[in-house]
Amino acid sequence: MDELELLKSQWHSRDEELPRLTYGEIYKMLLKKSSSIVKWILFISIAEIVFWTILAFSLPDSSHEFTDDLGLHDIMFTANILYYIVFVFFIIIFYRNYKKISTTDSIKDLMGNIIRTRKTVKYFIIYNIAGASVMMLAINIFYYTNQDLVFDLMVADYGVLSTMDKQQFITIFFWTQAIIGLVFIALIVLFYRLVYGILLRRLKRNYEELEKIEA
Amino acid sequence: MEKHLEHKFVKELEDNQNIVHKICRLYTNDQDSHNDLFQEITIQLWKAYPKFRGDSKFSTWMYRVALNTAITLYRKSKRSIKTQDFEGVSFKIASEEYDNTEEKQLSLMYSAVKELNDIDKALVFLYLEDKNYKEISETLGISEVNARVKMNRIKDKIRKILNP
Repeated sequence: MDELELLKSQWHSRDEELPRLTYGEIYKMLLKKSSSIVKWILFISIAEIVFWTILAFSLPDSSHEFTDDLGLHDIMFTANILYYIVFVFFIIIFYRNYKKISTTDSIKDLMGNIIRTRKTVKYFIIYNIAGASVMMLAINIFYYTNQDLVFDLMVADYGVLSTMDKQQFITIFFWTQAIIGLVFIALIVLFYRLVYGILLRRLKRNYEELEKIEA
Repeated sequence: MEKHLEHKFVKELEDNQNIVHKICRLYTNDQDSHNDLFQEITIQLWKAYPKFRGDSKFSTWMYRVALNTAITLYRKSKRSIKTQDFEGVSFKIASEEYDNTEEKQLSLMYSAVKELNDIDKALVFLYLEDKNYKEISETLGISEVNARVKMNRIKDKIRKILNP
């Protein structure tokens, strides 16, 4: 007898030995999309920190000369270090979220992990936007309380005419600062809304789908 | 709409999951890889589902997508199959009505099939699933004559693996 025929004759009778997945288990496989969303959150946050680092290094020295002249070098340096430490801390959390989500095998845990991930991403966004705002506000308060110094430095090093009316200069200076600051923050908000917003909405949708199976 | 489709899909996959499990068994050697492949096939089936028009049976369509996924994945990872891994997945038997020698023979046969290359495996799988050459050729996208010729060669290969 043909060897293969023997196997064939037994083939279908072996079906009971096969594993059997339930509807819920199969459905959940479709929702594993969550783990790829969380992976993207991780990748984007890493790309972001790389981008900021490259930007910081590629800026000409003259860009922080002004703050250095004002005697803010150490404070700025410390603030930057702190910023990076917290940023890295978030990346670690994102990584752990990703690991957890991709290894979960109960719907309930998956739901819990999705909630946790959404929360951390929200904190991350708040941290970045609030951080940038506070930083800008603090610098401008410093400028404001040291108007004379700012004006003198501008005259001495940055080609501002000493004949210019000081009050007029200060007004223009702060208006410019305010506009640039607002535009910058608006860009950050837009970026987070777009990139992380889309990912968060997808996670939310997955969560709602999971909720239905659990119900 | 999307919801309705999703439930219909999961239901049909649940009913026909044996096919996928058998493919996973044939292409992987441990439970983890089995589950991974099952998951991958599920996702590929779901992605292709909107294109499934229902002019063929769900199971026929499933054979094609599932085997393609297994073959592609197998190629990507270039996993080499080690013979000593067979034990864990070899044909187990629940009842004692089959005598031992036949059981042993079956197990050897199964191992031999697992040693075949990815395409040959797909062919043998469809053959074992009782598909005729017309169905085999349609599922794998080869001509009927080609399927017959290949099948004969495969039988020779198996004979050689079993009687070296």
